[in-house]
Amino acid sequence: MPATPALPHLTAETAWQPLPAEDWSASHARHLLRRAGWSAQPAEVERALADGLPATLQRLFPPSPPSWPAPAAVAETGRGLRETLREIRDLPEPERRRARNRLQQQSRAAGQSLALDWLQHARAPEHATFSKWVLFLDDVYVVSAQKVKQPALIHAHDHILRTHAFGPAQALTKAVSRSPAMIVYLDLQQSKAKSPNENFARELFELFVLGEGHYTENDIKEAARAFTGYRQAGGEFRFARRQHDRGRKTVFGHTGAFDGDQVIDLAYAQPAAATFLPTELARFYLTEDPLPADWIATLGDAWLDDAFDLRALALRFFGSRAFFAPEFRGNAIKSPIQFYLGLLQDLDLDVLPAPRFTLNALRAMGQLPFTPPNVRGWVGGRRWINSTTLAARRQTAAFLIEGLPHNRFNADELRAMEAARAAGHETFFLPPEALIELSEDSPSATVQNWASRWLASPPPPDALAALAELLADADRDETATALTTLLQSPDYQLC
Amino acid sequence: MSASFPSDFPTTRREFLRTTGSGIGLLTFAQFAPAFLVNSVRAAAPSPERDRTILVLVQLAGGNDGLNTVVPFANDHYHRLRPSLGLTRQAVLPINDELGLHPACRELYALHQDGQLGIIQNVGYPNPNRSHFRSTEIWETASEADDTLSTGWLGRYLDNACAGADAATTSADPAAIHVSGETPPSFASDADHAIFGVPERPLRRSTRNRRNTTPTDVLEAFARSPDHAHDDDHSNHAFLRATAMNALVTERRVEKVLAAYRPGAAYPTDNRFAQSLQKVAAMIAAGFDTRVYFVSLGGFDTHANQAGAHQNLLATLSGGLAAFQADLTAHGLADQVLTTTFSEFGRRPAENESGGTDHGTAAPLFVLGSKLDQTLLGAAPDLDLPSPKADLTYSTDFRSVYATLLDRWLEADADAVLGQRFDRLAFL
Repeated sequence: MPATPALPHLTAETAWQPLPAEDWSASHARHLLRRAGWSAQPAEVERALADGLPATLQRLFPPSPPSWPAPAAVAETGRGLRETLREIRDLPEPERRRARNRLQQQSRAAGQSLALDWLQHARAPEHATFSKWVLFLDDVYVVSAQKVKQPALIHAHDHILRTHAFGPAQALTKAVSRSPAMIVYLDLQQSKAKSPNENFARELFELFVLGEGHYTENDIKEAARAFTGYRQAGGEFRFARRQHDRGRKTVFGHTGAFDGDQVIDLAYAQPAAATFLPTELARFYLTEDPLPADWIATLGDAWLDDAFDLRALALRFFGSRAFFAPEFRGNAIKSPIQFYLGLLQDLDLDVLPAPRFTLNALRAMGQLPFTPPNVRGWVGGRRWINSTTLAARRQTAAFLIEGLPHNRFNADELRAMEAARAAGHETFFLPPEALIELSEDSPSATVQNWASRWLASPPPPDALAALAELLADADRDETATALTTLLQSPDYQLC
Repeated sequence: MSASFPSDFPTTRREFLRTTGSGIGLLTFAQFAPAFLVNSVRAAAPSPERDRTILVLVQLAGGNDGLNTVVPFANDHYHRLRPSLGLTRQAVLPINDELGLHPACRELYALHQDGQLGIIQNVGYPNPNRSHFRSTEIWETASEADDTLSTGWLGRYLDNACAGADAATTSADPAAIHVSGETPPSFASDADHAIFGVPERPLRRSTRNRRNTTPTDVLEAFARSPDHAHDDDHSNHAFLRATAMNALVTERRVEKVLAAYRPGAAYPTDNRFAQSLQKVAAMIAAGFDTRVYFVSLGGFDTHANQAGAHQNLLATLSGGLAAFQADLTAHGLADQVLTTTFSEFGRRPAENESGGTDHGTAAPLFVLGSKLDQTLLGAAPDLDLPSPKADLTYSTDFRSVYATLLDRWLEADADAVLGQRFDRLAFL
């Protein structure tokens, strides 16, 4: 159990006040870009510095965020799925099994291309902040491809989070209750008036809106009745009227013939609704140690005043004095996705479209996109780091810088790389000329430059001196090794 | 609790014991001290017994052509399916009247004659998947074809073996070691085990540059340095530095062991695979407590012009494995070590138009060791196919091989690790 951190010299009242304009500096900009996105590229830092904090926040959290269309392979599996399934059902035995297998293989391949495409999309600097915000929401409104198994549903779920990411939280929660992926993941599919399934209602209160201890078992039982009849078919929401319990329910002391949307409104009328998501937000973006209750209460009150508008919450949080407090800077452990996408941005690389390398690396580091371990999502923080995951991070840094020989790739992978090149993503490993450019100065100037560009706080001087020693008289391979070493250091795992 | 690390952080167990005198001090001074340092003090116990069995897993990545590895030379269907790639009775190294090894497997053939090489025929699984990625995943997680598991079969073995017992956690040695670029998914586990990867390519970093510095020195400077801005009990910096130091200590030790090793047999020098096996032999000979090792040999995806490429691959495999076995024997370790090959699938029975073979299903696998009971197991594949494009049907489930290895070699609860019961095979 970690000790309570030293808190910044702020009070519940001052913590969420906007950062004074005169405090805005390059180091503040780097912190914002790393925490709200994946990394702090020099050009982005300069731009944020020139624009100032309020304009930068408006840009990073735009009212109408970027969309992410489904990759072709995913759209393909989603299209006509119902018909295909019906056709398969009617086939005689050996063909039916073969057709099922084929469908499974297609959907597995589509799942891989979904993950790779998401990474490629999220890696673009103009999509970074919003993609991470959706990842945050995804860590609250969890679904897993391991249970859902239909990539088109996973993409549709992401689309719901994206569409409602900067609107009122109630609308987001209602949309999620109709998300086909969620209906499968939390077993609403079989929930009938006569036998309501409580799984969704429980997680709605515990993990989406209120948190543990702010509802009773009876609230869950009654609320579950309101979501009976929620179905999905072929990736579309369906309401099975005859399976829905239209009777009177008592939830949080209110009685009426509530439907699901009304139950969600009742949940947001509970005092805990104002502080639940802000708590999750601070944990995801700021510190794994809980913030003082009165700080969270103040943030929650402000959010309630904003009618639970998610964009207003984001703008207040990322513009606050608390967010920029020196005590919180450079002390967050990067998630594997942040480590990987940050590394790509830092080195100006594209996603290698080979599941065997890219997705296996993320899996080995502990965070394969769209497969959180359970309904709580990824716990994160120190749980990301152990001897195995640290080794996987080191391996990942090494192979992105040193490259993989062509003969390591099979025909499918070479084809995928060709297709990515055709789409303008062509740099999968650090090119020799980039390495030369990155190490043109004297060894000591080079390592200083690397450290200020890529590390969230100043590294120990003797480590930097040792790195400069390594770089002195280095040939190209040794320079690559030195760069790899810096990105393998404990310091690079923090942001 | 004291807030900072001593400036000279110990990098070896002995150094550590010297700096802390009775050895109790460390327990109170650093909550993030490397696990083995703390545990070795807490346990003050002798290291686990030295004669435990060891499993070496050899991956033939890309899908090895089983029919041209263990060749059914007397089968007319075989020659009809493979008019150009088929090997004749005269060409192969005969095992019996039906089967022979590919001529490139000269050393393995000798081991087979000697009772040290077992062949398990036609190994696969139901509803085979012909994607490299997916089928490898099935073999490494030991899942059903239509299921996905997040842990590997050896990772679950480690979870199982270490639950309750602290022998593994008090060891300074890794629980599992792989000589490959990526951590094999076979090692993915629920609990945290010390898993160590030795780079396939020579450890450039182990060589000192002109200024007498190595990357490990640099990383140690990062991990050791006490003067960080955020250095206190709760800092993630301190936690990361301790975890990194733990890994570096192992790395240093492995580097020393590899550099000092004198093999007891000549390994082919032009063969990186053989060099990887030599590293494994070095670590086994050094008395590591590690019980599972993983080595990978790639290039088996032979869609075109297979004959020459496959010949070279099998020669690499045969030469490497034979040198490894001879080395173990010379060091008196052969009774302790069992080596098993696997590949994600075999190749199609019928050759294609490009002188190669496409992705298939089942294939034989090899087990290598001095303790084998039988050396030819499992039914040969049925080549009397319904159509020329049809594929083989496996006769032995690969999880039966795993069950046998877990149960009779590693003495683990095979059914718990595999999640269901599979027949044991008679090679052990």
